[in-house]
Amino acid sequence: MQGNGTKIVAIAAFLIISIYYLWPTLANTLEQNYIEDLPEAERVEYKEENTQRLQELRQNSLSLGLDLQGGMHVTMEVGTAKLLRELAGSNADSTLNNVIKIAQKQAIENDTDFIDEMVSEFEERYPDGRLSRYYRSEAENITRRSSNEEIVKYLKKQRDSAVDRAMEIIRTRVDRYGVTEPAIFKQGNSRVVVELPGVANKSRIRDLLKGTARLEFRLVGQPDQISSAKERIVSYYNQQAQSDTSDSVQQGRQQNPLLEVLNPRGRNPYSVGYSTGRDTARVNELLQKQEVQELIPRSLTLMWGATPFQTTEQGQELFELIAVRSDVEMTGDVISEASVNFDQTTNQPRVSMNMNAEGARRWARITGANIGKPIAIVLDGYVYSYPNVETKISDGRSSISGIGDVREAEDLVNILLSGALPAPLEIIEERTVGATLGEESIQAGFYSTLIGLVIVALFMIAYYHSGGAIADLALMLNIVFILGILAAFKATLTLPGIAGIVLTIGMAVDANVLIFDRIREEKRTGKTLRAAIEGGYSNAMSAIVDANVTTFFVGIILYSFGVGPIKGFAVTLMAGIVASLFSAIVITRVVVDYLTREKSAEISFG
Amino acid sequence: MRWFETPDFNFIKAHKIGYVISGILLVAALIGIFTKGLQYGIDFKGGKEFVLEFDEPIEVVELRSALSEPLGSTPVVKRFGSPTDVLIRTDNEGDITEVQNTILEVVNQRYSQNEASVIKTDIVGARFAEDLKQGAMNAIIFALVVIFIYILIRFKNWTFSAGAVAALFHDVLIVVGIFTIFGEIAPFSMQIDQSIIAAFLTIVGYSLNDTVVVFDRIRENSLLYKTMDYDKMVNKSLNDTLSRTVITSVTTLFVVTVLFIFGGEVLKGFSFALMLGVIIGTYSSLFVASSMVVELQRRKENA
Repeated sequence: MQGNGTKIVAIAAFLIISIYYLWPTLANTLEQNYIEDLPEAERVEYKEENTQRLQELRQNSLSLGLDLQGGMHVTMEVGTAKLLRELAGSNADSTLNNVIKIAQKQAIENDTDFIDEMVSEFEERYPDGRLSRYYRSEAENITRRSSNEEIVKYLKKQRDSAVDRAMEIIRTRVDRYGVTEPAIFKQGNSRVVVELPGVANKSRIRDLLKGTARLEFRLVGQPDQISSAKERIVSYYNQQAQSDTSDSVQQGRQQNPLLEVLNPRGRNPYSVGYSTGRDTARVNELLQKQEVQELIPRSLTLMWGATPFQTTEQGQELFELIAVRSDVEMTGDVISEASVNFDQTTNQPRVSMNMNAEGARRWARITGANIGKPIAIVLDGYVYSYPNVETKISDGRSSISGIGDVREAEDLVNILLSGALPAPLEIIEERTVGATLGEESIQAGFYSTLIGLVIVALFMIAYYHSGGAIADLALMLNIVFILGILAAFKATLTLPGIAGIVLTIGMAVDANVLIFDRIREEKRTGKTLRAAIEGGYSNAMSAIVDANVTTFFVGIILYSFGVGPIKGFAVTLMAGIVASLFSAIVITRVVVDYLTREKSAEISFG
Repeated sequence: MRWFETPDFNFIKAHKIGYVISGILLVAALIGIFTKGLQYGIDFKGGKEFVLEFDEPIEVVELRSALSEPLGSTPVVKRFGSPTDVLIRTDNEGDITEVQNTILEVVNQRYSQNEASVIKTDIVGARFAEDLKQGAMNAIIFALVVIFIYILIRFKNWTFSAGAVAALFHDVLIVVGIFTIFGEIAPFSMQIDQSIIAAFLTIVGYSLNDTVVVFDRIRENSLLYKTMDYDKMVNKSLNDTLSRTVITSVTTLFVVTVLFIFGGEVLKGFSFALMLGVIIGTYSSLFVASSMVVELQRRKENA
């Protein structure tokens, strides 16, 4: 028994540690069951009295992945291209825009950093070119003389801070929305992952996450400029229609493609025209053409109204296209307070805003200088309203009207107060699982584990007799160890993770199969049982180690490449290998030795 | 119970039959892959997938045609496990919320008596999908390289490495081929997505497990039976380890079959890939990997 002292201590230690880490999970499950059985009234009271303890238990429990408990997983990407363009501000020209566009494509193809790609693309095209043409920053000491390397460093820093700030803002918004235990983390250099357990209203969350809440106050364009630009665009498409003979011949009439989707009769001198909701995308497409963009003065920007100004009898909603000035007079970062209230005449919800001192001063100056003219309130590129300025506003008050419903107004207040995102965020991946599907998955996983375990255990006994029974004991402990390892490393249990455990059950016996088969072989050569056992364990070792090390490598690779649930699978696979090696080599050895030496029992290996 | 107590199969002599079977399977797999292309799932192609649960069973064909016009293209509409659950996959590039609302509007209009709720959504942007694909590719290549090197270090003989990696290629390629060819008629999703890649890597790990055990015995026997012919010695090693190979395959096959039957719809494709992988992996360790080693060893010695 001498040699096994350390082994027994190791087994006991491993077991105690596993149970120690699994204890909160067990206690939490018991608590939850207890709470569920309580009558409604007592339940609330009990929860309140034990808030802290319950929370601690939950935090230390083996956590379930979103695929098991239901919820929403969103990956968002900070719009680096837009950020780069915006940082260049008015210095941006078509050269820079082109370089950015190409770099974006190459970064994806070559799996490289966007900013690095942009610089190398720029340097390739203009060997002597300097990026300082576009980027300046007094705060960061970036001047005309800064080298390209310095600018890359500056741009990367800007991007990092944009991502960090975006995370902060998202956290505030999600907290205000009231999601319990959200997880928000960074992935790569420009991605943010948000995991929201138990979220049901997906579209509202989406808007909340994406909403840049870029609030702008802009003057509208000059009527004569607007009307002449409009004429030029319409006549451009008239010519297009005449020169295009392909399908117009069959139609018998040459149609202006723009006028097909845009009614050019504006309701006022600032409006370029209106379209139905469905046609706005087509209008945008026609206006985006390079030649058309050149017909619009740089000082003007065309934007759609946020809400329809009218609904036709056929139920079509009409949206106006408004020409506002390209210069932004003021942005929403001066907003200090915002709240929802109702317009007294129309009874529509609106968001009232208060500005800080500096904002109020500027607002007073802007409104004072533009009495009798409209000022557009633009949010995320849509014009919410453009009321006429009646008098100079000196108390820093303003409001956004034209909002759909109260809930939308509440979310808007949330977004406005959490601050504007430094760059637009795009949802590039979204996965949601309903709570019921999650529960079904847990059940499916549980039954699979149980059935797998029973089948393998019976098979082992049938094939290896008492040896098999010992292997089965190791197998049971093995599962406790795997869960213990997962809990200790604060890993998340996912459905593929459970699949990993089930798979491990099948593969875990492998080490014992190797050993037992070897013992049988040794016995065939005429050795005594003791000698055969000795030989079996020592001779099988190299095969066991090699086979498991390679599988462990696969686990590591899977872990580093996989995302979400796949990571969970890799973790259980690796935990399974460690646990099964230990249980197969150490535990069965101790039991076998004990039985043969101390009890002089005859163990059969079938 | 004892299976293969002292087996004496001539695996190496049977290697020609093995090569023929493997050759046919590989050619069929490659033809399938080249003519149909890999059937990527949403993870690697991008798109939007919604799983709707209805109160009552519904007809997928009817729903598919009802959705075609509003979505702008014919979506994939399939059963998702039980007859009340359907999976809708569309390549419509519109805003997520809008696409979902379009689908729900159509469903509510057409099945006003049969309430539906969205129980699962997967939305992957095209660029993100490209990233995931790249990541999966890197993972597989990286895994094969690491395995090649590890075996080279442990067995100090490149023929072992080559034999093992060839067997892995063989296994994964045949499973991919089966997924590609039978993907459309299978009652569950057989598209290649992240979980299938995870299954492939697991197959790689599993098949390697088998192969390495045999190689280990070859290494041991080569020291014990120095005068024996190389192919005879390899054959003896295969027979020595046959019982273990079969038993472990049986227990693993048990559990992946249990997963396939009881693991729920989400794991169907994954566990099916594992089932195929265990069978083909066992076959390849017996008939492909070691035969390759014998073949390569002979060439090496004759060279």
